[in-house]
Amino acid sequence: MTENKQTPASSEAPIEQQLYAIRQRIQPRAVHGVFANWRIAMVLLTQLLYYGLPWLKWDGHQAVLFDLATRKFYVFGLVFWPQDFVYLTGLLILSALGLFLFTAIAGRLWCGYACPQTVYTEIFMWVEEWLEGDHLARKKLDKSPWNAEKLRKRGAKHLVWFVIALWTGFTFVGYFTPIQTLAAEVMQFNLGPWETFWILFYGFATWGNAGFMREQVCKYMCPYARFQSVMFDSDTLTVTYDTSRGEPRGPRSKKIDYKAQGLGDCIDCGVCVQVCPTGIDIRNGLQYECIGCAACIDACDQIMDKMGYPRGLIRYTTENVVKGKYPDSGILRHVLRPRTIIYTVLMAVIGGAFVWSLATRVPLRVDVVRDRAALSKETDDGLIENVYRLQIINKDARVHRYTLQARGIDGLRVVTAAREISAAPLETIDVPVSLVADPVALKGRSIAVTFIVQSADDPRIRDDVSTKFFNR
Amino acid sequence: MLQRTITILWPSFLVAGVADVIFTTLFDPLELMYRGEALIEHRVAAYTIGFFVFWLICISSSMLTCYFQRSADEINRCPLPAPKRPEGCPKREDESDCC
Repeated sequence: MTENKQTPASSEAPIEQQLYAIRQRIQPRAVHGVFANWRIAMVLLTQLLYYGLPWLKWDGHQAVLFDLATRKFYVFGLVFWPQDFVYLTGLLILSALGLFLFTAIAGRLWCGYACPQTVYTEIFMWVEEWLEGDHLARKKLDKSPWNAEKLRKRGAKHLVWFVIALWTGFTFVGYFTPIQTLAAEVMQFNLGPWETFWILFYGFATWGNAGFMREQVCKYMCPYARFQSVMFDSDTLTVTYDTSRGEPRGPRSKKIDYKAQGLGDCIDCGVCVQVCPTGIDIRNGLQYECIGCAACIDACDQIMDKMGYPRGLIRYTTENVVKGKYPDSGILRHVLRPRTIIYTVLMAVIGGAFVWSLATRVPLRVDVVRDRAALSKETDDGLIENVYRLQIINKDARVHRYTLQARGIDGLRVVTAAREISAAPLETIDVPVSLVADPVALKGRSIAVTFIVQSADDPRIRDDVSTKFFNR
Repeated sequence: MLQRTITILWPSFLVAGVADVIFTTLFDPLELMYRGEALIEHRVAAYTIGFFVFWLICISSSMLTCYFQRSADEINRCPLPAPKRPEGCPKREDESDCC
């Protein structure tokens, strides 16, 4: 994949073209403004949620816990089992549609404000700015030889990064193993090998992605970055440089009448390039590297203020506005269009089905496992007996007693050893059971029968499972 | 070479993650039997090992993709221009041989 071979015309022509440019480390200049504030707010919000959620309690258990060891997912009042995989699928489809919807409306909002890659890069860059200084100081430090000063600054930075990364890894594992137990184990240096591994693995990934890989993750590794443009159309809000207003660009004195000189609003100061975390020039048009962080908008607005020009040379706008099809004020009207309506309708339908299905969910599940050793046998008094094992999962938060019936053959009898079938909250019980039938009533080799498990205390809680009854 | 390594490791990582989730959702690792004995004792261990097994499988697939992707020119000839070939290469001075 590293080369893009062409047949060269002569021996001087390049034979090997690098598909990926050699990466220059990007030291973006910090920027302040409306969108930078939005991003700070989003970083705080998402991280408050991420770091805080595992500590939240609900009904005596961790509110959000994907307990892998016991194969139960707790989400506030709900408990999901592996059999509820369909809900996870539904949730993923809903999230994907949500992503499609707001990508169609306003471009890469996810990338610019909420993606963990952006968020942790932002946090790591705050640390960098705090300990190593601004972008110029950092560039200087990059170039300077290793000395005590550089060692101290770099060491301090990595120490803080390391702590943040470890905490992130710990929190991540805390979503899958009860975090209180995990914290206690860490305190007592008594952490299990697998938990240790995942904390270090996730911590290492955070440290590497946010500290070193940064924009390369978006450019080369992110699948979404590759296909997000499919959701774009001419009415999608994107970070756009207004070419008609800006060009021809060029430096000028603040005092002159630049319009008389034939110049546009862009003073070619290059600040929009300096602040870009992916190192592109937005003035070259929409590029897939642009993560829509709007740092260039904030930066350019500051320059426009200094020059006394109106803001918005770079702004969130649509292709159709730049083409002059409608003014900026018309953007809101163009949000409603077939694409966005279809996404919304799909989301509403699937979301509705999701909620309805959750609301009417029966907290009981029964699986029938046949005795594999003997399909059927004859009892002493000439009847046919089949043996099964019923796996009854009580998904409810309280104890239930169940009654057991079977249907499908005239005179079918259910024989269980247990006098009473009852399951504690969230308990799975195994009930050996046999069905006994008179051979006279059996028509055919195998007959479909249905077990009906019914809660004795709640008529709504019942599950019907069908299986086969084998004749001799 | 580094880029090639990443293009092998990264997509495999993504697919292995998805495969591990689907597999362990469908099958409880504690119920996996091999010759009548339980294959593994701890679920979290099973998820972790499962992930790396899937990753290895996907890596081998990605490696083969990269391997078969080489063009005829790359297989037939040395892709480096003569002056750039390593020292000691007999064809280093041979201008006519290049591509």
